[in-house]
Amino acid sequence: MLLLRRGPCLLSSSFRCGSLSTTFIRRNSSFPSNQFAQLASRDASKHQIYQSLSSDPYVNLSIEHFLLENAPADSSILFLYINRPCVVIGRNQNPWLETNLRAIQNDRVKDPEGINQDGEDVLYVRRRSGGGAVYHDEGNLNYSVISPRTTFTRNKHAEMVVRALHRIGATNTGVNDRHDIVMSLSQELQQLMGGNPTGFDPDTPRKISGSAFKLTRNRALHHGTCLLDSPNIADFGSFLRSPAWNYIKAKGVESVRSPVANVSTMFADALMPFSIQGTIENIMEEFAQLYNVRSEAVSRATRAHANDLELHAGDDWVAGAVGEAQAEEPDIKKGIDELRSLDWKYIQTPQFTFSTYPIEEDPRERPPLPPSLPPYTRAFLRCKHGAIIESHISISPDETVASEQARQVHEALNGRKLHELQLEDLHEALGRVSPAMGSNVVRELAMFLGRNLGCY
Amino acid sequence: MAAVARCVPRFASRMLSPKLPIARMSPAMGFPRGSIRSFSQSAFLQAKKYTESHEWVELADNGKTAKVGITAYAAQSLGDVIFVELPEAGLEVAAGEPVGAVESVKSASDVLSPVSGTVVKGNTLLDDKAKAINESPEGDAWIAEIEVSDPAELDGLLDPETYKEHHE
Repeated sequence: MLLLRRGPCLLSSSFRCGSLSTTFIRRNSSFPSNQFAQLASRDASKHQIYQSLSSDPYVNLSIEHFLLENAPADSSILFLYINRPCVVIGRNQNPWLETNLRAIQNDRVKDPEGINQDGEDVLYVRRRSGGGAVYHDEGNLNYSVISPRTTFTRNKHAEMVVRALHRIGATNTGVNDRHDIVMSLSQELQQLMGGNPTGFDPDTPRKISGSAFKLTRNRALHHGTCLLDSPNIADFGSFLRSPAWNYIKAKGVESVRSPVANVSTMFADALMPFSIQGTIENIMEEFAQLYNVRSEAVSRATRAHANDLELHAGDDWVAGAVGEAQAEEPDIKKGIDELRSLDWKYIQTPQFTFSTYPIEEDPRERPPLPPSLPPYTRAFLRCKHGAIIESHISISPDETVASEQARQVHEALNGRKLHELQLEDLHEALGRVSPAMGSNVVRELAMFLGRNLGCY
Repeated sequence: MAAVARCVPRFASRMLSPKLPIARMSPAMGFPRGSIRSFSQSAFLQAKKYTESHEWVELADNGKTAKVGITAYAAQSLGDVIFVELPEAGLEVAAGEPVGAVESVKSASDVLSPVSGTVVKGNTLLDDKAKAINESPEGDAWIAEIEVSDPAELDGLLDPETYKEHHE
């Protein structure tokens, strides 16, 4: 008990009281990164600015969550980070509907051959906040502001970022009624970008930033993306488009598609190369103005990226760089493990149906099935908590025969977790209908289902 | 004992509160009609209580189970609710732990259980109609029914008048 309490007590006493400690702090001291948790939770840390040197989305989201849960209730925090390529969906979304699971790292392969968490593949991440699916990469800056809930509004921090963008010259940006930041493009720029995405009015402003929020009893977290200079902007759609969107009807939250653009498009003709770090510094300046942060905190924060994981603190502020080292902090590690867990990624999915034919709860017309499948093929699944609880897969036009086929297949599929199903499992389940379903049909149907449900 | 101790200071502050007579005269003011039950039969047992984190809990007549939901104030401040995460039957919760979550306008908010107990069921009405939370947050759109471990826990929560004073 005593041992446990000793560390934090020593620290907090040296911060909080006594003239000695005040002088100590006024020297604008630097601290090793293992004191992050104590500094961030210190009562006096009213203003905090951090930039992450990690590109791991699980680490960054968990540092952010730690700050939401542990920083003092009256503090205001700015946290900036850039993730490696990943698709991030909202808390109550469906990865089978919002992403192309076969195009990203979907945890389906146990012994990866070139596919693993540390490899180059696009990661699939479910965040804790609400909202829709987004794609991140090294050209996308994530900004996160954690502030008291009483003074929070949904546009406050998007407007803060817009002021920073205006500072760097992107004066054609503004906040729309979905709390997103959009950029209007001149006709020349539209042409420079190779015309307009199909399905959108040419004058539709391009989305450059999307927002999501997490509210707790006393605190509000607002985090947003900001597409500054993504090299993959033309490929976003391929990660965010599900092959099964014609078949899946999901409870929960559906994304709203928007045409996107990089802020750097604006400066295609500029003499100076576009600088992400320059944008970061301007966001820090605007945050400091909004919350009356001391200038010494801002100057420390703007230099953070140059110093390896060094933290600085003054009387009422903390600023500096964070990263992988924080993943060792027990509460943050717990958050990382939770985000990486397959329960969180898949089982958290709200109930949904997959159906190749119109059903009562999803009467949409369906596209014709591939010609390689028998003409009376029907495939229906209902999943709850990521597991199959109801199914009908059959190929017979005769209702009695069809329901017997469906019964046989369902025996094999019932209760199975969808994210664990491999192609061979589908083969096995469909094979039960042999000989009515020939091996060719079994293979084609398994392939079709696998393609749509992300199985390898 | 602990519950009594918790009650005393609050009672004292209410005695001193100049707002008290007004609140007494019109207890339902500011709440949607029908959200406050009349307790004419049992003058001492007040079955509906509130938390600082904007949940309500109402003990059933059996004195064992309670319905839990978010307050009208919370529903209004969250905006249009589009999804409610309901708890599974059998889930054991301690007071202050999440018993569900609500999503509105890109915002996720945890619903914290005001009391300890075991979830009997989530309100399946909300599966198909999340926006019922906006229409009847303290009525039909309860979030979970809980078998309460210790009904005395309710004594430590806010009564409707005190909650209202805090959040109007």
